[in-house]
Amino acid sequence: MATSSKSSLRLFFWTWGILTVVFVLIGIFIPHRYMPGVMSNDANLALTTTILFTICAAPVAAGVYAGAIHILKHHRYRGDDVPPAAPPIRENTKLLVTWLTASTVLTVFVLVWGLGALAAENSTSGNPLVVDVTGQQWVWTFSYPGTQVVSNELYVPDNREVEFRVTSEDVTHGFWVVNFGVQVDANPGVWTTIHTTPDKLGTIEIRCEQFCGLNHAFMDAIGHVVTPKQFSAWLASQPARV
Amino acid sequence: MTTTLEKTETMSKPQGGGLARRQNFATAIILGVILAWVFWFVARHLFWQGSDNFSDQEAVMTGAGWMIGFWIGIGAFNAPFQWLVGRDNSHDDNMYYAGKDLGRARYWKYTTDHKVVGVQYIIVTMSLLAVGGILAMAMRTELITPGTHFVNQQVYNGFIAIHGMVMILALIVAISGPWANFVMPIMIGARDMAFPRLNALSLWTLVSAAALLVTVLAVGGMPVGWVVLGTIGDQAGVGMDFFALAIVTFTVSTTVASINNVTTILTMRTKGMTLDRLPIFVWGTLFTSALALYAFPFFFIAELNQILDRTASTSFYIAAGGGTSWLQANLFWLMGHPEVYVILIPSVAALFEISTVMARKPLFSYRTAIGGMAALTGLSALVWAHHMFTSGWAPTLGGPFMVTTELISIPTGIFFLVLVGTLWRGNVWMKSPTLWMFGFIFNFIIGGVTGIYLSDVPLDEQLHGTMFVTAHFHYIFVGSVLFGAISALAYWFPKVTGRFLDETLNRYAFWLVFIGVQITFGAMFLSGLKGMPRRDASYSFAFEHTNFISTIGAYIIMTGMLTLLGAIIHSWRKGEASGPNPWHANTLEWQVPTPVPLENFDVDPIITEDPYHFDNEEPVHV
Amino acid sequence: MVRSKGLGVAVASVLIGGGVLALAGFALASATPHQTALQCVESTTKAHTCSLTLATYPDSLEGVHGSSGGPHPDWVTYSNDNIDVPANTTVDVTINQYDTGGEPNNPAFLDVIGTNGGFDTVNGVKTTHVTGQIGHTWTLHAIPGNGKYLWISIPLPADNASKMPVKLGIGAYPKPEVVKFSFTTGGAAVYEWNCEFPCGGSRLGNGFGEAMSSFGYMSGTLTVQ
Repeated sequence: MATSSKSSLRLFFWTWGILTVVFVLIGIFIPHRYMPGVMSNDANLALTTTILFTICAAPVAAGVYAGAIHILKHHRYRGDDVPPAAPPIRENTKLLVTWLTASTVLTVFVLVWGLGALAAENSTSGNPLVVDVTGQQWVWTFSYPGTQVVSNELYVPDNREVEFRVTSEDVTHGFWVVNFGVQVDANPGVWTTIHTTPDKLGTIEIRCEQFCGLNHAFMDAIGHVVTPKQFSAWLASQPARV
Repeated sequence: MTTTLEKTETMSKPQGGGLARRQNFATAIILGVILAWVFWFVARHLFWQGSDNFSDQEAVMTGAGWMIGFWIGIGAFNAPFQWLVGRDNSHDDNMYYAGKDLGRARYWKYTTDHKVVGVQYIIVTMSLLAVGGILAMAMRTELITPGTHFVNQQVYNGFIAIHGMVMILALIVAISGPWANFVMPIMIGARDMAFPRLNALSLWTLVSAAALLVTVLAVGGMPVGWVVLGTIGDQAGVGMDFFALAIVTFTVSTTVASINNVTTILTMRTKGMTLDRLPIFVWGTLFTSALALYAFPFFFIAELNQILDRTASTSFYIAAGGGTSWLQANLFWLMGHPEVYVILIPSVAALFEISTVMARKPLFSYRTAIGGMAALTGLSALVWAHHMFTSGWAPTLGGPFMVTTELISIPTGIFFLVLVGTLWRGNVWMKSPTLWMFGFIFNFIIGGVTGIYLSDVPLDEQLHGTMFVTAHFHYIFVGSVLFGAISALAYWFPKVTGRFLDETLNRYAFWLVFIGVQITFGAMFLSGLKGMPRRDASYSFAFEHTNFISTIGAYIIMTGMLTLLGAIIHSWRKGEASGPNPWHANTLEWQVPTPVPLENFDVDPIITEDPYHFDNEEPVHV
Repeated sequence: MVRSKGLGVAVASVLIGGGVLALAGFALASATPHQTALQCVESTTKAHTCSLTLATYPDSLEGVHGSSGGPHPDWVTYSNDNIDVPANTTVDVTINQYDTGGEPNNPAFLDVIGTNGGFDTVNGVKTTHVTGQIGHTWTLHAIPGNGKYLWISIPLPADNASKMPVKLGIGAYPKPEVVKFSFTTGGAAVYEWNCEFPCGGSRLGNGFGEAMSSFGYMSGTLTVQ
């Protein structure tokens, strides 16, 4: 049957609504359940963005799925022979304009959010703790300029912006501090930088996220976010390496 | 009538006559191997064996020998050579090379008939999918639990790039290869493509390139992703040389095919086939080919630079020599992003075409569909660095590339409007092409939306390089493009063979693959959210459950795809007879008999309206 | 269930496809070089202790590659790459270093990290930091969360080049630098170790290519059972 009666359209809108709610709930609960422990402002931003984008996408996905369900229920030809012609609807200007406007508005919203988040991420306090990160196949080492400390575990103090200057000794690696929500590639011959502000004490994990050869899968390191006092104590306790 | 053609004995390159007519796939392989050996031998004596670059020089020469030998052996150089010596083909020769009266032998030769090339592409696509599929299953089996199992990390790492590249090749040609070749010329009322010999060249070059790719595995693989970052590409063993050479060869194939498609569509449409009566699939092919023409030369250069670094001591990508791996990344992604649209647009355009026939109504908003594809094509050239947000290359460009990338979601959204809008209020014929189409709709939403997550720079700093990215593009490649390709196969199968692709088996295959995709890649999204990096031979215990589920899903997909293979094998000879126009469609390919005559039409058709009039009703504008 | 004439072909296709896959898997597994793991020798005097002896060679004519040197006889290599140690045990390791070396690219690898006591002994002398040249390192690392987290790095001092004979071969190595250290394992787990001194070849790999990036030379697996 080719026409969409009022009742079937009502069903379409109800399906759209229910699916939207389901997807919104997925958006609220899944990221919290699965994303790694948030220990910096950037990780927090990543989590919030995931939730927000899922919520924004929910009505779009739900609408398309509700449309498909509606078609399968009401517009399926159930005969055995070739179906007859359906109404030759070539244009629906109102629908087109509505769709384009809505998708543009949604895109612009997501864009504004993203640009704002990017600006917030890029803002720097001007006095970060600098940590030099060296990746080489297949371990990470950390050194603290201004001291002579070189370590295989990353120590950073809480609530102070840290700037990672990253390089590689051989091939391209990917320096990713999972709990800080930041990553940047480590390239030979150049320094790349990324910065964030840890805001929670605890253990952090660092993984390599750029395929770098044989033991790429094992190029993990651990780190610790500690109080500033503990940090100074740790720095002092490390033997001076040249 | 063949009296003007004689054999020559002196040169190894054949020209006209008996020798040329004996060339086929076998002679191509034989000559490829022979010339590979000859070039290898020359390399051993020409290049200094003590140099650092020697093994790479040797490998590149061997691979080049294979390429050239294959081309000579299949007969690619015959026509230019004959032209050079003033002995052009006669009409009979041309008919011979078009496969007239050759029976099945014509599928093994350098046949110019676009329909033969189309069927050859079907076989090549299926073979590439098989090789890529075996590697995928090897990878997923290895990843079933943490730790290394039946292979070690060195062997596993070698799978990754070859699985990726082989599957990408398969998907680039999955719809453009068979259907832009077989169907498109008939759809526009032409008797063949503009450059029939280039058509055969593009197919056989692809075969030669695929052979080089498989060789990579045989020489020890290479521990790089298909993205072949310059630094690790330089460090890798000789497998990298074969890979780079395969790419260089492959870009010849796509460039030639794109030129052919664009020229054919622009110049060979029959009388009355104005641009606004063009079937939407032809529009899709036009945009795809134009985009491919723009994009693939970047890949050519990227890999040529890599070869030069490895064989000629240049430093394009070597920091110590003044180069940078970012050059490679930029060149690669300048190709790599448009390339995913080269893969996607044919699938979408084919589904548009199929949706009109299966819903018995015109394409909803034909002009918007064209506009959407045009916008996608144009914008796709401006978004490449979103793959490099975390590379550290140009942090200030994060914002602009985020803008262009998120803007692409608007034309992509239009695709849903057109597809659902065409089916809405239709009399939807639930045959297997339609089933795969609904699968596409479901999967493409997920794939498309998750792309938006990755386009947000701060979120990308968490998700880049994780299995979230892998799941995203597998939803697009497997869940969307492959579904579109299978829908197109089920739809046009009757035109090629005169039989339906078995409906029941196709349904089993659909449900197995569809459910398998959700399980495999749904769980993979969770692995990525949790923080599992991609391209890992082993992983933390934290990811063991989601990986186990993904592996189970992979086996389900495998079962479904093998069922589909069984359906194809069975139906090719024993499927239910379909007649020349089983779907009662209006596009020109369905108006010619099955099997399609050599020159398609007895009389050139004259077009008076677009193909979306199913019952001569007055069009309704709502 | 709707029957189809082609069901037989489909089932055959699945089975044959599965068979092809199994064959491919078998072929790949066979192509993977396997080394018999070096077993840690239980101590007869101390409880929960075992000992391991490893060596680093300037070519592949010793150790796991056999006397022919395997496919790359000129590559540097460790004597063993796969090592098995028991759980909850103190492992006493001796490494005999027969190779020359150079200045390390990364000073972090001149330190002894992660051993019991934080030191090792080089030719009997207690050391926490090596000055001068090193030939290789033995650096063990892990995926955090997959068992007890161990991160151990041992710098292996370089043999003086003047001690090296001109012609290398079996039995022609100079006196080694002998490095000894101990560490304690936890529960069952798998660790990867590799050398962190760029002793591999390839102009393009910065010394990290060839032997350094191939399984079975300068990297391996330590399995705690």
